[in-house]
Amino acid sequence: MRRNALLSSTNLSWGTLALAGATFLLLLRLLAPNFFWQIFTPLFRVSDTLARESHAFFDGFGNTATLALQNEKLMNENAALANENQALLKKTASISELVPDTRGIIAGIVARPPASPYDTLVLSAGSAEGVTLGMEAFGAGGVPLGVVSSVLANFSRVTLFSAPNMTVNGWVGRTNVPVIISGAGAGALNASVARSAGIAAGDIVFAPGPGMLPIGVVTRIDGDPASPSVILRIMPILNVFSIAWVVVRDTGAALRGAFSSTTPILP
Amino acid sequence: MMRGILTSLTFISTVLFPWPLTVLLALATSLFEPLVPLAAGLFADTLYYAPQSGALPFFTLYGALATAVALFVRSRLKTSIIRG
Repeated sequence: MRRNALLSSTNLSWGTLALAGATFLLLLRLLAPNFFWQIFTPLFRVSDTLARESHAFFDGFGNTATLALQNEKLMNENAALANENQALLKKTASISELVPDTRGIIAGIVARPPASPYDTLVLSAGSAEGVTLGMEAFGAGGVPLGVVSSVLANFSRVTLFSAPNMTVNGWVGRTNVPVIISGAGAGALNASVARSAGIAAGDIVFAPGPGMLPIGVVTRIDGDPASPSVILRIMPILNVFSIAWVVVRDTGAALRGAFSSTTPILP
Repeated sequence: MMRGILTSLTFISTVLFPWPLTVLLALATSLFEPLVPLAAGLFADTLYYAPQSGALPFFTLYGALATAVALFVRSRLKTSIIRG
C-alpha cells in the first residue's frame, strides 16, 4: 500500500495539521478580524517586550572589539593613575612631615544654646581626638566662634566670643579700624570705637585667624552725643542655634593669653 | 514527537522570535514535514500582511516555494535506488 507523502507515520501529519491551523487563522482574520486581533494583541505585546530585551542584551556583545580596546585603555589609565596616586601620597607624606597639620579637628556639636549654657557649645571631640585647652573653634566658612575652655576625654566645651568677659582683637569697617570685641552675652558682641572712625550699621567686623575672618555685622550704633566714642552692637554672622559642626585648631590663642597675662607689653 | 516539537517551535518563532530564526526552523522542519514552510508562511502573512500596502504576501509565496522544493526532494529520494 502506498503512503501519501503528506501523511507520514500517522494518518494526519504535523505539516497538514499546521497548514490546516494556519488556514483556519487566516479565515478567522478575514471573517472575524476584531476577534482575531483581540486574541493576538497580547501575543504581539509579549513579542515586542522580548525583542526589546533581547536587543538590549545582544547589543552589549555587539562591539566586542571596541569594548576590548576600551577595556585595555582603561586598564592603562588605571595603572597610570595608581602610579600617580602613589607618587602624590609620597609627596603628601613628605610635606606633612615638614608642615604641621593645619586642617584642624572636625567636631560635631552635642549641645548648643539653649540646651547648653548660653554662649557655650559642647563638642563631641575631646583630648582623645587631640583637642586641647585654648584651641579656637571655627564654623562653616572659617568664621571664628570661640575658644575651647574645658576638655574631657571625648567631649569639650567651647566658650563663644559672645560670652561675657570674652574679648578678641579685631577690625571693623572698610578701613579696618582696630577694635577690641567683647562678649555681651546671649550671642551678641559689642565693641567700642571712636565716633570719628565713621563706622556705620552694616559694616563687617573681622577677627584674626589665618588672615582676617568675618565674625559679625554691625547692627546698631549706640552712644552719647557728647561722648567721643560709640558702642557698636554686633550680630554674629553664624547663628549659634543652627551650627551643626565646627573645626577646632590651634591658633596660638593660649600662647597669646599667656603673654597678655604675664607681660603687660608684648616684646 | 520531534516533528511536533519542530512544527510548534516554527509557529512560536513566527510570533516571538526574529524572522531569520523562523526561516531556519521552517527549513529544518521541512526535511521531515514539507508542508510546514507553507503553513508558517501563511501564518506569518495572516499576522503581518497589510492588504493596504499593495505588496505581495511574500511569506506565503516563499513558504510555498520551500514546500515545493522539499516535496520535490522527497519525491526524488523516494524514487531513487538508494532508498530501494
